[in-house]
Amino acid sequence: MAVLEAHAITKTFQEGRQAVPVLHGIDLSISAGEVVTLEGPSGSGKTTLLSILGCILTPTSGRVMIEDVAVGDNARAMAGVRKKSIGFVFQQFNLFPSLTARENVEYSLNIKGLKGNDARLEAERVLDDVGLGDRKNFLPRDLSGGQKQRVAVARALAGRSPLILADEPTANLDSHTGAQVLEIFRNLAKKENRALLIVTHDTKVREISDRVLRIRDGVLMD
Amino acid sequence: MAVDLARKILFHDKLRFVITVSGVAFAVTLVLVQLGLFVGLLDSATITIRKLDADIWITSKNTPNVDFANDFPESMVNRVRSVPGVGRADNLLVTFMQITLPSGAREGLMVYAMDDFARWKFPWNILSGDVADLRRGKYFLLDESAAGRFGKFGIGDYREILGQRLKIIGLTREARSFTTTPIAFMDYQLAQSLAYQMFSGRTAYIVAKLEPGADMQAALAEIRRRLPFNDVYTRDEWAAASRNYWVDSTGIGLNMYMTVFLGCLVGVVVVAQTLYTMTMEHIREFGTVKAIGGTNLDIYMILAKQAVISAVCGFSLGAAQSYAMKPLMEKVDLKLIMPPEAMAWCFAGTLVLCLASAMISFHKVAKIDPALVFRT
Repeated sequence: MAVLEAHAITKTFQEGRQAVPVLHGIDLSISAGEVVTLEGPSGSGKTTLLSILGCILTPTSGRVMIEDVAVGDNARAMAGVRKKSIGFVFQQFNLFPSLTARENVEYSLNIKGLKGNDARLEAERVLDDVGLGDRKNFLPRDLSGGQKQRVAVARALAGRSPLILADEPTANLDSHTGAQVLEIFRNLAKKENRALLIVTHDTKVREISDRVLRIRDGVLMD
Repeated sequence: MAVDLARKILFHDKLRFVITVSGVAFAVTLVLVQLGLFVGLLDSATITIRKLDADIWITSKNTPNVDFANDFPESMVNRVRSVPGVGRADNLLVTFMQITLPSGAREGLMVYAMDDFARWKFPWNILSGDVADLRRGKYFLLDESAAGRFGKFGIGDYREILGQRLKIIGLTREARSFTTTPIAFMDYQLAQSLAYQMFSGRTAYIVAKLEPGADMQAALAEIRRRLPFNDVYTRDEWAAASRNYWVDSTGIGLNMYMTVFLGCLVGVVVVAQTLYTMTMEHIREFGTVKAIGGTNLDIYMILAKQAVISAVCGFSLGAAQSYAMKPLMEKVDLKLIMPPEAMAWCFAGTLVLCLASAMISFHKVAKIDPALVFRT
């Protein structure tokens, strides 16, 4: 079953009086339990596509469907889809510096509507899964880069969102730590039957992927 | 319980939090102290009216306030005494007199004079001495606050008032006029003899006490009918008139409002600027909130909660500082009175203004693009 489907996605930005087309008719589909890598050089449209698939940006034309439901184009509807169905992992981690590892995960669950003890237990469960059970009360400043990214992975996986989108998750990590994080990420996504799309420059990510997509100048190559 | 991101962000940067709370506390202190001094001054302006056990005050026509009395024939008191429902009525003389200090300097003194102070329970706070002794000679009671202006004095000391040597036979407390001039209490006839040019056969006020159960409106109407060239007030009306005179005629009211306005402005600027800076510094975090499915409302609630926490902490500190200033103010003969209603209004105002300050950041939050979380 396809968790994510994109049909004929285009995106054109207006820069002053000039229209700058970035994506040209992208079609893709990712199934539950599938790990897909999206590669491409800088400026190829990777992040723009990820933003559209993540319901952060609206396409100029085309349609995104998540779990067979078309995503509306107003901010409230898109926020609702993000809340219910999508987990994000960012290159910069984007953890809340004032929250501990557990609170970072728990806050994301609160946003998704899970509160109280249930949220706390779920946060602790995913932190255990990523191997940070003993670091759950640490602030991000007291964690290494790899540990921060594992917290980010835990945050994305918490709440059982069917679709996980990761933007350059290994870019700020050394190769050894990056490989560890990817391995954990892949195993958990597989175990919990999540659809995982990783946008990256890092060719090592291919090794954990079921499928590799390449984008160049706003067009998917294969 | 949900994770309290608002509180965590606010307390994470402790220095900024301290600055915010200090700003609010400064504004609150400014407002409360100014308000407290204002209420204190107005309290002094009417304290003798409120403490003297009279229901009705009769003044000469158009007397602006209790300190600026005009004279009228003292025999009018008999007309009042015979009004049905009036239990008792007496003349009350209130006038400024000059007191000569041992140094030779002259100062102003506010004199209250009656035939029988005791039955009017006046003065209300006697530290030593007996008002019954005032009739026995050239004696007077002086408020202890006079020491600040007149230098140290004690019972048994003599002072020269309008050229006559009078003995201090007692001390009172809290008896100060609006202008902080100390108040002295002396026998009615002695005061008349001292200020004979103005008050020979004349009085400044008639005060009346009604019999229990008497009809106040009927008594007032009858007194007004019998004394058409005087003004007749209930105690509360006369206190209000005296208070309003100072507020409306002297600019003190405007001064108070201006300071309160400036206090509010300082508070708003400090809180708005701090919250705005905090919002800008945490813009990426707020972008993350949006990216993981949060709405503008979620972020507004964070900012609003931070504003409320700042308001509560700032108000508490400001109120504590204001209370701490009370003894300091008393040392310079100023009363700082902070009634619970004023405190409640000030707290409500602090909350509202802090929330209003937070709204300046709402506009910025509404424009946060969650896509910024992908930027490096």
